[in-house]
Amino acid sequence: MVPGFTYVRAKSVADGVRQLAAPGAKLHAGGTDLLGCLRDGVFKADRLISVSGLKELRGIAPVPAGGLRIGALTTHAQVVADKTINERYRALAQASAAVASPQLRNQGTIGGNLCQRPRCWYFRGDFHCLRKGGDHCYAEGGENQYHAVFGGHKCYIVHPSDTAPALIALGARVRIAGPGASRVVPLASFFVGPAKMITKETILEKREILTEILLPAAEPDLRSSYRKVRARGSFDFALAGIALALLIKDGKVARARVVFSGVAPVPWRSEPVEQAITGKALTPDVVAAAAEAGVKGAEPLEKNGYKVPLLEGIITESLLALA
Amino acid sequence: MPDDRYYVTDVPPETPEPADQPAPWTTTTVVGKRLPRVDGYERVSGAAVYTADVVLPDMLYAAVLRCPHAHAMVRKIDTSKAEKMPGVAAILTDKSPGADVPWFNARTGPLSRLFDPHCRYEGEEVAGVAAETPYQAWDAVRAIAVEYEVLPFVADAEDALKPGAVAIHQGGNRSGDVTRYARGDVDAGFAAADVVVEQIYSTACEIHAPTETHASVARWDGNRLVVWDSTQGVYPIQSGLVQLLKLPSSSVRVIGHYMGGGFGSKLSVSKHTVIAALLAKMTARPVKLHLTREESFLAVGNRPPDTMTLKAGVKKDGTLTALQMTVLGTGGAYPGGGVGSVDWVVRDLYTCPNVKTELTDVFINAGQARAFRAPGHPQGAWALEQMMDQLAERIGMDPVEFRLKNVPMVSQATSGTPPYSSTGLKACLEEGAKRFGWSEARKRARTEGPIRRGVGVAAGLWRGGGGGPPATIIVKLFADGSANLNMGASDLGTGTKTVMAMVVSEELGVPLEKIQIEWADTATTQYATASGGSKTVPTESPAARAAALDVKQQLLTMAAAQLKVTPEELVLKNGEIVSTADSSKKVAIAGVNALRGRGLIVGVGYRGPNPEGKVICPFGAHFAEVEVNTRTGEVKVTRFLAAQDSGRAMNELTYENQTQGGITMGLGLALTEGRILDRSQTGKMVNRNWHDYKIPTAMDVPVEQIVIPIDLHDYQANSTAAKGLGEPATVPAAPAVANAIYNACGVRTPDTPVNPLRLMGLLAASKKRG
Ligand SMILES: Cc1cc2nc3c(=O)[nH]c(=O)nc-3n(C[C@H](O)[C@H](O)[C@H](O)COP(=O)(O)OP(=O)(O)OC[C@H]3O[C@@H](n4cnc5c(N)ncnc54)[C@H](O)[C@@H]3O)c2cc1C
Ligand code: SF4
Repeated sequence: MVPGFTYVRAKSVADGVRQLAAPGAKLHAGGTDLLGCLRDGVFKADRLISVSGLKELRGIAPVPAGGLRIGALTTHAQVVADKTINERYRALAQASAAVASPQLRNQGTIGGNLCQRPRCWYFRGDFHCLRKGGDHCYAEGGENQYHAVFGGHKCYIVHPSDTAPALIALGARVRIAGPGASRVVPLASFFVGPAKMITKETILEKREILTEILLPAAEPDLRSSYRKVRARGSFDFALAGIALALLIKDGKVARARVVFSGVAPVPWRSEPVEQAITGKALTPDVVAAAAEAGVKGAEPLEKNGYKVPLLEGIITESLLALA
Repeated sequence: MPDDRYYVTDVPPETPEPADQPAPWTTTTVVGKRLPRVDGYERVSGAAVYTADVVLPDMLYAAVLRCPHAHAMVRKIDTSKAEKMPGVAAILTDKSPGADVPWFNARTGPLSRLFDPHCRYEGEEVAGVAAETPYQAWDAVRAIAVEYEVLPFVADAEDALKPGAVAIHQGGNRSGDVTRYARGDVDAGFAAADVVVEQIYSTACEIHAPTETHASVARWDGNRLVVWDSTQGVYPIQSGLVQLLKLPSSSVRVIGHYMGGGFGSKLSVSKHTVIAALLAKMTARPVKLHLTREESFLAVGNRPPDTMTLKAGVKKDGTLTALQMTVLGTGGAYPGGGVGSVDWVVRDLYTCPNVKTELTDVFINAGQARAFRAPGHPQGAWALEQMMDQLAERIGMDPVEFRLKNVPMVSQATSGTPPYSSTGLKACLEEGAKRFGWSEARKRARTEGPIRRGVGVAAGLWRGGGGGPPATIIVKLFADGSANLNMGASDLGTGTKTVMAMVVSEELGVPLEKIQIEWADTATTQYATASGGSKTVPTESPAARAAALDVKQQLLTMAAAQLKVTPEELVLKNGEIVSTADSSKKVAIAGVNALRGRGLIVGVGYRGPNPEGKVICPFGAHFAEVEVNTRTGEVKVTRFLAAQDSGRAMNELTYENQTQGGITMGLGLALTEGRILDRSQTGKMVNRNWHDYKIPTAMDVPVEQIVIPIDLHDYQANSTAAKGLGEPATVPAAPAVANAIYNACGVRTPDTPVNPLRLMGLLAASKKRG
């Protein structure tokens, strides 16, 4: 049972920012992640400040200078149905379609997806672990089959979002409103790993609201994709995933952005794979070398060693599919 | 043993003699048709009232405080803060008057009590609260301060037997004696074999996870207790409460009505029901207690995990020479049938003269197992049916042909090796293979490239499924030709009500929409055993038929007097009673004066005895086609076919539903499900929610799921010729998938679930080996 809380609707983004100053206040968008956290006692909230009524935060529209603006409250279902996104930013369409289940895609928002809390079952269960302010990580020596093989540091969560790696590969930036002027940051630097900070996953401060996602204009030669492997066909997070955004010119990769999901505490940009393919045609040999490079340095825990060959497998499959 | 509930051996007195059994139907007009549920509208529209929907005037809501540790001793409970919270009406603890209820019986007596301070699993009950709203009840639960002494725990069957393992009960960690079975001489059998294979298999613990979690509402009318319960059997709940609360049976009424699934987890009385009853007594108000999903993962049953070592010998010509199985399993912290019936398929599915089994059941600090859809059988089949595949490959024989060669006509494991009343195993394999296109599909297997394709077969049986007495059903025919069917059995959502109404309709010609059904209420319906063991249709439908025939007999006698003919020459057809000698002599049901005068006819039907010296057993064979992505370990089941012999198919649609449910559950066992305990640190269950405990979704089952009823009418079994279906329909599903995976990628998968986590590891290892 969810413990009691007060629920208020923000009248505007500025009002939301103001209201978030109240002690124990949390922002509410679609609520699909937030209410689960409250029910499971992951954290407490005395007051939910809901922005779900703010129309200005919903919708997908072209930006005059080129590119696309996606309001933070846009649902996954809306993203999946958008023609431009399907045509120009396929990785995002595929990632949003791979999120959760139809009901959750109708209710959950893309902004909430970027701000959702991790799915480590100790974190979600009644274990007072490091990320919740406790004194140790249960996953490190416990049931770590779903945990990180890259970037772990005292805490081994994997970042749960499917849309984040796709957006990062596509070069997205996000706008953040707060008490002062709003700021725009590359999505890649929105996330922080445990080496920097263990109790939070993003740079967001208490009184900040993510208001929009900005995608750069899609070059005509851009090919992008998102591929996710999960333990069940729907209603499940990534065991490992890969977002690709490749600029292919004259049969060769002119620019590559490769981001993994499901294997690290933040969406994991793989420069080794990018380097292995940039300037080259995606021949089977090049792809094999890239796959090998992609898993180099992986540090599996006791029970997640399978993620290494799995990642190698999807790097191979996804690159060959875009060749 | 939970299985005991499934088998009734002593025939009760009201059972009629075999000679009184009605003759079999030759043709049917309603039975066997593809008809939707009689209560489909209610269930889909939300009009059906489930226990969770029951709201009574003045009702309180209860919540349970459960031990958060795998093993702990409650040292102190402080309820003072909770008592003062708004809306709190009562708090029940071990110290409360009347709470000293013994629980968890073993041969030696009760092992525990309602709120035993010695908590042996995470989720064991510590206290109960009743409050004005569910939220207030939960707030109060959170406000109770408990001092626990956390104890070392055991979270694994193997660990439980290690020297120095913490003893969960005074007598140690063995749950009952080792079960042994032997026939013939296995050593001689292995010596005579051309090929001997040995392999260790294991199945993970599964949670029942019915859509409706366990729920009870309790109300006292003076000294009489009325309980609404989401249960598979109102009479077992009644007798449980009578025993635990020391009340006369007449003072306990249990109402079942609509319920949303059980799979074996709702066969007997649970602690939450007693807690609701005691809180209702304390407060003199009705109390509802509806378990949360998390609680249902921890405390109301599971399919026990089993590790099975199987050794098998075969001759080149496909003759099985010996089967030897050892099993280690655990039913949790209390006797839960951790190994019950796991070896039954090994003993009985195939002809084999030499069989030896040994089963060890141990305690661990986890929730107690309960009967789960064909207890033991899916586990045993997981081992045996993969082994059959391994043997077939070694002797170079087609797996279907190999199985066909070993189809038994007698139950070898039953004393006196009696014949089966009917066995469709051969037909299931042959017809299934034909309809699946087995031979062609095997030729189509793709063993090159990243995506491999393969097919697999597996067979199974269910040792229950014959049903038997007792069962009493009453049918009332009203003067306007409508009827009332009164039965004590529960309908778990399987279609029991629909099938029984069809039987009545068949005999009386009353259309289904004119049959009103009263069911599952100890005060107003007749005695019935729990709906479990796939025995509800073979148990209840002959009684329904007998009741309808009793009505018909009386009706024809009345009509004969009115028409001045003999009852023997009359038939009931389309709502009219007609003379076969002179078709002008007829009268509509509504025109029968004696019936009008009396108001209604009451017919009573009893379930007759099962045939002497016969074993009634349903069989099945499943065929799966899969694609394996060798780069990722993903398995996609692309096609599935199930051929089932469950005697007469009473309703093709519910038959298909049951079988597809069985297939889906089998796919869950094979591919996605498994309880995960934090084995090395806390012993707590880490995946106790819908997301982490992975029930298959619509995306995990094939679009093409074909169900073939092998419609063998088993008139030796009973007067409707049906055998059970619900459980046999899940037994072979998982190993059929495992065999298909092997056929596709050459990797044997001895442990469930075969998800990408596991299969990727196996594929990587096999690649390394070359
Ligand atoms: C069962 C289940 C399965 C799922 N499976 C997947 C999956 O496979 N892949 C995947 O990517 N995701 C998955 N999700 C996550 C799902 O995508 C998110 O729950 C959803 O997108 C969150 O959106 P929301 O609007 O409901 O967020 P909310 O629940 O309202 O908020 C989530 C969190 O983000 C904060 N927040 C929300 N919006 C903003 C904002 N604009 N600015 C600042 N903070 C904000 C909230 O305070 C809260 O802490 C799953 C969720 C569930 C419950
Ligand atoms: S991985 Fe992180 S979230 Fe999970 S138990 Fe360890 S510290 Fe907590």
